[in-house]
Amino acid sequence: MAPSRDGAMTTKNSEAQGRGVVAKHQNAARDRVLVCESVSRWFGGLQALKEVDLVIARGEILGLVGPNGSGKTTLVNSITGFYPPQQGRILFEGQEIHRLKPHQIAQRGIARTFQNVALFKGMSVLDNILLGRHNFMRPSVLGSLFYWWWAQKEEVRQRAKVEEIIDLLQLESVRDEMVEYIPLGLQKRVELARALASEPRFLVLDEPMAGMNQEEKEYMVRFILDAHEALGLTILLIEHHMDVVTAICDRLVVLNNGVKIKEGTPHETINDPAVVAAYIGKVNHAA
Amino acid sequence: MFYRLSGIHHTRYESASQLWPIPADRWQVYALLALALAAPLLVSDLYLTSYLLPWLIMTSAALSLTLLMGIAGQLHFGFAAVMAIGAYTSIHLVRFGLPFELALLGAGLMAALIGGVFGAAALRVKGLYLVMATLAMQYLVDWIIVNVPAISGGAQATLQTPRTTFLFLPLHKDEVRYYVALLWVVLVTLLILNIKRTSFGRALVAVRDKDFAAAVIGINIVRYKLMAFFTSSFLGGVTGAVLAYCFYQAVTPEQFSFNVSIQIVAMVLVGGLGSVLGAYLGAAFVLLVPIVLTNAVAYLAGLGLLSASTNLLAHIPLMVYGGLIIGFLLFEPLGLAKIYDNLRKYFLVWPFRHARS
Ligand SMILES: Nc1ncnc2c1ncn2[C@@H]1O[C@H](COP(=O)(O)OP(=O)(O)OP(=O)(O)O)[C@@H](O)[C@H]1O
Ligand SMILES: [Mg+2]
Repeated sequence: MAPSRDGAMTTKNSEAQGRGVVAKHQNAARDRVLVCESVSRWFGGLQALKEVDLVIARGEILGLVGPNGSGKTTLVNSITGFYPPQQGRILFEGQEIHRLKPHQIAQRGIARTFQNVALFKGMSVLDNILLGRHNFMRPSVLGSLFYWWWAQKEEVRQRAKVEEIIDLLQLESVRDEMVEYIPLGLQKRVELARALASEPRFLVLDEPMAGMNQEEKEYMVRFILDAHEALGLTILLIEHHMDVVTAICDRLVVLNNGVKIKEGTPHETINDPAVVAAYIGKVNHAA
Repeated sequence: MFYRLSGIHHTRYESASQLWPIPADRWQVYALLALALAAPLLVSDLYLTSYLLPWLIMTSAALSLTLLMGIAGQLHFGFAAVMAIGAYTSIHLVRFGLPFELALLGAGLMAALIGGVFGAAALRVKGLYLVMATLAMQYLVDWIIVNVPAISGGAQATLQTPRTTFLFLPLHKDEVRYYVALLWVVLVTLLILNIKRTSFGRALVAVRDKDFAAAVIGINIVRYKLMAFFTSSFLGGVTGAVLAYCFYQAVTPEQFSFNVSIQIVAMVLVGGLGSVLGAYLGAAFVLLVPIVLTNAVAYLAGLGLLSASTNLLAHIPLMVYGGLIIGFLLFEPLGLAKIYDNLRKYFLVWPFRHARS
């Protein structure tokens, strides 16, 4: 599928369209997978997140957008435990997670990818994805020592699981390649595969399409939608490509300077004057 | 080395993840193992006990350290101290009346415990600080062994290993000592190879390469680093005991001095970080090259081709040796194993060049 290109962010068409704020998504009856309650995070004197509130409903694809340095990655790092919020709470499926270590949060069922590809160099694509199965394996020294009676069965079983994901994301052709030798677009796909391998219920994608050409982007969009459907995922997607965001997100949240300035359907959000101003202000600033 | 990969198709996951998926490689390994088993018949006792035996044991040491340094990425400059703990523990346990087999286990556990404690302390630090922490372990252990007569039998003392048996075979016989060392190096080799192809090894490498990415897939970084310290120290402890019983048949603190730690690190680096084959090659290099060089220098001096003071003559081998190690690290930082790999790939695709195997 080709992502629709309507409503590019840079359009000067900034008429207010603040009607009908997504009532259906704020329906309390829906399952709230992730809740951020006035999350704040400082780096030295810089406040990267200012009392951000966020609710993500089950099955939703929520787009998180905002100019460079607005705090998107920081919010993701707070959710996944790398930079725990200094104020506020984060709940996953009703339970507090903001005091947990990153690996504990991962074990709860949250997976993520990184803005800059964070694959394990020197390992094959297959091993990278197999690592995503870590939570389902019981690695032990004795298990390794008695490989033929102990670890082999498990390795083979997990390998079969990994092959399903390789199938889903069409990675067969590079299965045995070292990850550093495949193109960036494929590396990002392998990282998605590794995240999916951990069978998460909530998936955070930090700019999965950065640096991709149009064709690679379209592939990626399709894989994200496929995974969303096939695995029943809830997804938080950070993305600068507005065509992609408007095409696949149910809802958008806009950050600017660490503040949530807007939340709503893609269309009404990107045409909101405050949002446009934030982007244009940034552009002027950068120029 | 002279074979092609065409026609080898794996149809099951089990066969694709064999240790040596290529049949020719497998046959090479079997042939080497057969040679190793027949060695007591093939070579003189002198060769067996003063070349093969120390090589096998130091290879076990290098393999134990490779798990920590190569696979888990944690530097350790006090590995000889870990081995010392194993050696002294095993001697005292056997003297206490335990069978040798259990004493080996005890040696490993004691080394793992103490090594693990230092590891836990070292986990908070990285790089140079980790080197300092492990150096501290080396000197602390040395000091305690020398200064606690109950352990060392008094300063300058040599503890003879008590007579004992391994699986009912008398351990003072040359062949038995050789086979015990061989058994141990085969076990350690299999363990490291299997660790490298299972989830445990992958997790260690993940923690080494990108700890944040490892955390995000649920790997407990601290736990895995500790497990690496523990396992590696266990192997080192048993290796220390094997070294004491099978090679020296005695222990003194000097056998496990700082020099030895550096030698083991050199074996791992020269052989190739994280490589099993590299541990064998690196141990051979570090043990044999000084001997070869010393003999060569003496030979040349005897012919009158080298005229220098005896003092200088004694130092030439050391200088060449140091130069060789530096040269290796500059020329091929991935070590001897990588050089072998390059050769192998070259012949695999010969006469074509630039093709990947
Ligand atoms: N580890 C850190 N130490 C100090 N400052 C940080 C750190 N991480 C982020 N920041 C700062 O926090 C602010 C938000 O950064 P963040 O990476 O979250 O932005 P972003 O929205 O992801 O931007 P981009 O679109 O460029 O990825 C920036 O000003 C950044 O410099
Ligand atoms: Mg970012």
